[in-house]
Amino acid sequence: MEKHLAALIPLALAAGIPLQAQIAPVGVPIDTTTAILGAERIDNDQLRKGLVNNALDVLSGQAAGVNVTSNGMERMAMLNSVRVRGTTSIMGGNDPLVIIDGVTSDIQALSTIYPADIESFTILKNASETSMYGSRGASGVIEVKTRKGTGGGFQISYEGNYGFASAYKHLDMLSASEYLATASALGQYANDGGHDTNFFDAITRTAFVHNHHLAFSGGTEQQNYRASFGYINHETVIREMGYDNFVVKLDVTQKAFGDRLTGDFGIFGSSANNHDIFDNHMLFYSAACQNPTYPAGRDANGNWTKNSAASHINPPGALLHERNDQKDMGFNTHLRLTYNIMEGLELSAFGSYLYSSTENAQFCPTWVWAQGNVFRGELKKSDWLGSLSLNYEKSLGQHKIKASLGGEYMKTVTDQFFVQVKGIASNDFEYSNIGAASTRQYGGTGSSYEDHALASLAATLSYTLMDCYSLSVTTRGDGSSMVGDDHTWGFFPSVSASWDVKKEAFAKPWRNVSMLRLKTGYGQSGNLGALSAYNTMATVSQVGIVPVNNTPTVVLGTTRNNNPDLRWETKSTFNLGLDLGLWANRVVLTAEYYYSKTTDMLYAYDVPVPTFAYDKLVANIGSMENSGWEFGLSVTPIQRKDMELNINMNLSLQRNKLLSLEGNYNGMHISADNVTAMGALYGAGQNGGDNNVVYQIVGQPLGVFYLPHCTGLYLDDQGHYKYQIADLDGDGRIDLSDGGDRYIAGQATPKATLGSNISFRYKDFYVAMQVNGAFGHKVFNGTSLQYNNMSGFPDYNVLRGAPEKNIVDQNISDYWLEDGDYVNIEQLTVGYQVPMRSRVIRALRVSANVSNLCTLTGYSGLTPMVNSYVANSTLGIDDKRSYPLFRTYTLGLSVQF
Amino acid sequence: MKPLPYTIAALAATLCLTSCLDENPKDQLDAEQIYTSASEIYTNAVASLYVNMGSNTESEGLQGTCRGIYDYNTLTTDEAIIPIRGGDWYDGGLWQNMYLHTWTASDTYLYNVWKYLYRVIVKCNESLATIDGHAQLLSETQLAAYKAEVKAIRALFYYYAMDMFGRIPLVTSTSIEADQVVQSERSEVFRFIVSELQGVLPLLADEHSNLEGTYYGRVTRPVAHFLLAKLALNAVVYADDDWTDGEAVDGSSVSFTVDGQILNAWDACVAYCEKLRDEGYRLADDYASNFAVHNASSPENIFTIPLDKNLYTAEFHYLFRSRHYNHGGAYGGASENGTSATLHAMQVYGYGTDTPDARLALNYYTDTVWVDGAKVMLDNGKPLIYRPLAIEVNLTNSQFKQTAGARMAKYEVDRSAYADGRQVDNDIVLFRYADALLMEAEAKVRNGQSGQAEMDEVRSRVGMDTKEATLENILDERLLELSWEGWRRQDLIRHGLYHKAYDQRTPSEAEHDAHTTVFPIPQKTLELNTKLKQNPGY
Repeated sequence: MEKHLAALIPLALAAGIPLQAQIAPVGVPIDTTTAILGAERIDNDQLRKGLVNNALDVLSGQAAGVNVTSNGMERMAMLNSVRVRGTTSIMGGNDPLVIIDGVTSDIQALSTIYPADIESFTILKNASETSMYGSRGASGVIEVKTRKGTGGGFQISYEGNYGFASAYKHLDMLSASEYLATASALGQYANDGGHDTNFFDAITRTAFVHNHHLAFSGGTEQQNYRASFGYINHETVIREMGYDNFVVKLDVTQKAFGDRLTGDFGIFGSSANNHDIFDNHMLFYSAACQNPTYPAGRDANGNWTKNSAASHINPPGALLHERNDQKDMGFNTHLRLTYNIMEGLELSAFGSYLYSSTENAQFCPTWVWAQGNVFRGELKKSDWLGSLSLNYEKSLGQHKIKASLGGEYMKTVTDQFFVQVKGIASNDFEYSNIGAASTRQYGGTGSSYEDHALASLAATLSYTLMDCYSLSVTTRGDGSSMVGDDHTWGFFPSVSASWDVKKEAFAKPWRNVSMLRLKTGYGQSGNLGALSAYNTMATVSQVGIVPVNNTPTVVLGTTRNNNPDLRWETKSTFNLGLDLGLWANRVVLTAEYYYSKTTDMLYAYDVPVPTFAYDKLVANIGSMENSGWEFGLSVTPIQRKDMELNINMNLSLQRNKLLSLEGNYNGMHISADNVTAMGALYGAGQNGGDNNVVYQIVGQPLGVFYLPHCTGLYLDDQGHYKYQIADLDGDGRIDLSDGGDRYIAGQATPKATLGSNISFRYKDFYVAMQVNGAFGHKVFNGTSLQYNNMSGFPDYNVLRGAPEKNIVDQNISDYWLEDGDYVNIEQLTVGYQVPMRSRVIRALRVSANVSNLCTLTGYSGLTPMVNSYVANSTLGIDDKRSYPLFRTYTLGLSVQF
Repeated sequence: MKPLPYTIAALAATLCLTSCLDENPKDQLDAEQIYTSASEIYTNAVASLYVNMGSNTESEGLQGTCRGIYDYNTLTTDEAIIPIRGGDWYDGGLWQNMYLHTWTASDTYLYNVWKYLYRVIVKCNESLATIDGHAQLLSETQLAAYKAEVKAIRALFYYYAMDMFGRIPLVTSTSIEADQVVQSERSEVFRFIVSELQGVLPLLADEHSNLEGTYYGRVTRPVAHFLLAKLALNAVVYADDDWTDGEAVDGSSVSFTVDGQILNAWDACVAYCEKLRDEGYRLADDYASNFAVHNASSPENIFTIPLDKNLYTAEFHYLFRSRHYNHGGAYGGASENGTSATLHAMQVYGYGTDTPDARLALNYYTDTVWVDGAKVMLDNGKPLIYRPLAIEVNLTNSQFKQTAGARMAKYEVDRSAYADGRQVDNDIVLFRYADALLMEAEAKVRNGQSGQAEMDEVRSRVGMDTKEATLENILDERLLELSWEGWRRQDLIRHGLYHKAYDQRTPSEAEHDAHTTVFPIPQKTLELNTKLKQNPGY
């Protein structure tokens, strides 16, 4: 089996067509660790995690170098949070490419696939592996193979989960009596609304969750099908919120002309609704800081009690009436025809069409927004993709040659519009009657259209000698509509080699060594993910509305600097790896080192005003490097008929460094700030000024804490404690601004991440556990900084313990910078495979699962699991956004007929 | 696979595919598509510049939004302050730095102001090039008039840029490369602005721009006259290229050519103010009517930013930012409880005396506030009482943390406003005739003449008795008449007081050289153009 796959994957890579077209027939168990060249494959058996919200949760923690931010801050995996080997481009385009059964797709579409429909994931990380996808695969590729008909006659299966989620921990703020007592002790007036409300309890609930999945398949080897239906319905622990997803999927395979022609046809549709919190920050900030003597609901007159002096928060109950609903409808279909022309020569034609529509509807009642606010918008996206490839394979004794030539064309059209109105006639319409509003302002309606196209040509040649030494070379040309006319085509070669040491004569005596392989590769890929269309063109659109001849008139003009000279951003990657199997692969160790350097890096660089009208120009200037080690360890200490124990662990060590943001643009030296603020704290008294926390600094990893240093607390002349800030530059003056008394205090992204799953089976019982962890990074505890600051009290409630601390200061410093290390037990599942002797029921399994069992951490806030991966304004900052911690308990039933 | 067929195949495919790799924008146009007739050229090359007068974006717009030109000219003076109110309004020391003049060259908002002003200047240059490039579509009159209007707008923005940043680059054409941009002395920029304005005067329409109609919101001849009067009055400042040497320029030594006559700065100021009188401007009978919700018919306002909450996007944030939360709540929206009058302003207005100035109640909310016949109540059930004399830079430990300070009134509250009172119908008043009268009074006094008549005219409109037109009294009168209108910094600088101690402010040792009368060139600007030099003292 091992040998089988070893042969298959290079073939697939060489062929330039997606892997699963050639991979072993469905249902054949494949040892994931045997995948060579680093392509990491995860089978669904390995993925069995109990309750999952979506396919991204399945992926979390399974493969070294793949990070999915989930839980804690957001209730499920964030769509923009999936990273393969971290961030390699500063401006965007860091989302990995998702290929579902060969169809170009995205994280959004992956998240709508029902987990039980997934056969396996394959993660491609090295340039030599992603080369078959060219520029689209520059940030890694997640190949998803879904379940197909087996050709083994009619089968039907049902799988369901039922359970509930409930919050078990939230921030501990002053209760009503403590709040009033504190105010009176401080001699400050506090309103006594006469209630004793815990607003976290008021906005949370026990939430019901259930998943169902029904699949049937049938047919023969020559002609088979599989159809499935899935439905997920989850309430969330935050009242009013929840999501559901309905999916259908059909796959048909037909062989013809004496099995020379194989046709695969697939269709997939999904309809997902997401009722989300309109503004997390506002809701959780308000729940924490609202005067606890105020009622949870409305008063006798139907009004919400608002402390008008606390302008940054709102009554939490009223906020739950805000609506932020999203409906995603997706439809995709593909057809692949593979024709065996002659022995070893195959022609494959593939076409796919994908259509998705995302509708957003938002509503803010007049209780929280003067005049109310209603927004409706829709984004529609169509992708067409066609490819042709010719694959040739020939073995001559000890020599094996494979060659392939392929071309691909892809076109994407995105079309969207939105309407926003104010002055609503009634809160009861929510967003359903957008006409019942008085105001539609200029800028409140809009639409846009964007098209771009990508074409590729690729050729691969690979040679294997004695099944032992392999060398593969790919040359690839990618052409894009989004770069300058003189730079349309980028050429990205790659080369890889592997050596199966175990096949050597000298290795024969190594009895305990069951596998030993070395592999290496180098390659380049282009990335344009950061760009939107038309950046190279000097186009005009509306810039505003002014009276012209007494008539309001829309005027047109340029809205940005254009750059006709845009080029491909290039990433060059080198990797060197080792796979070692011991004792009949009871212990499998994999280790890989990689180094990648991004050059011609796209970024919005600073240009001088004047002579430019705008201060930013998107150009190819800077560079960034990433390097790291990835280790996998799979141990099977017990492997008996009645008992089996499997331990899988993966560990990634990652280092990122922003090398440069300066260079030449058309003879002019341009650059971006060496120190750029990325994220700040928001809240009362923290608008602007020196509230930046996380920075992008040249020479540092993307996202470092650049903070004033606090040497401790001191008592001021008013009898309050303040943060003593060190005069780091020794100029006798405390300067909190950038470049003043600040230093680099740590990085926001983990230096190491750990994923581990442990499964134990005894007879028909099994226990499985998924544990994830991250280490070496810091989290800025802005929540504690703000909720311990007494200067906003009593308008803003504070943490229990804050009155004793007596801190009246909200300056940013490293005082609240904490280690973010954690180990989180994400899933614990106990199951029982019911022994079946029935003719009707082939298998029956029952299971019980707890997700988010517990987190081991030294972090003092609610959870260290904030955004630690995605380089945006929330990176590394715990700023009043975290959900109350919750667990989900479910029972599962799985039946096969 | 042989190399040759492969190469041929690749070439063929490349050619074919390249044509499929064109972009076809549908929601954007090519620039050449929008200048096909005289009216399109006017709309997209001239009128389009007016979208920059007001704004809804922080640090942009000549007035109306926060952290921009207005704040740097108002909250840095003895007129107004945003005090720290406990957890509110600390904002990393931003407002305190403004009041205490402890800003630095790396101040984000100063750079934002710079970018805003020069963006409009660059767009003006582009418009001039566009108009010239399409001259064949225009009559000679149109060509001259369009260019004149654009040049006048550019002069207006250069005026604000020079007033704030002193030594700035003069970029007047699109053909200048970034590495050719160098600074000019302040006096050169000043001379350029004056000569540009004087040059286009005959081509500008002789129309009241504040009135709705064809010229609504546009830079017309009276607007240019007012601006020339300002330039003449402040010529002593603008003609001084070495403002840290402690030596002032003598106004009578700066000459202007007005209607063929060579006049000193004071006479020139008077001449331009008198042109405004000749153009039909007069004081409105009712002071408040200039700031009413529907103020577009004022006989007094000279240049305004047209606001209409349903039609336009520019906003006015200052009432929202100033009034107490519950005060805004009484109008049905939120508020920010920020900007307040200084102690000095209250003293000049005679707050707490038996004979306060008649404009106190028009320009400020003090003490108890009434809305719709009811007192505004605090959450604790007691009436809201503003405490004008309790104002301090940092109120964190004050018992009047949230109520200290008189608040901004001046503009009539638009009860149908949107966005918590930020989207209103009151046009924002940039230039008005009462200011011209006070300029004329000051210029005459400085020129050794009497400015009493003009000063009396302003005072009597609000029923105030005459007061001797001394320079000191005129400066106070300007505060009484023009508070909240964004002129205070310029007035204090002209009177040599801006960098001195006043109100509750003690200047630092380093400020004695008056270097703070000009803001630093933003650090970022210096980094991007290494030929530029920082202003002295920074």
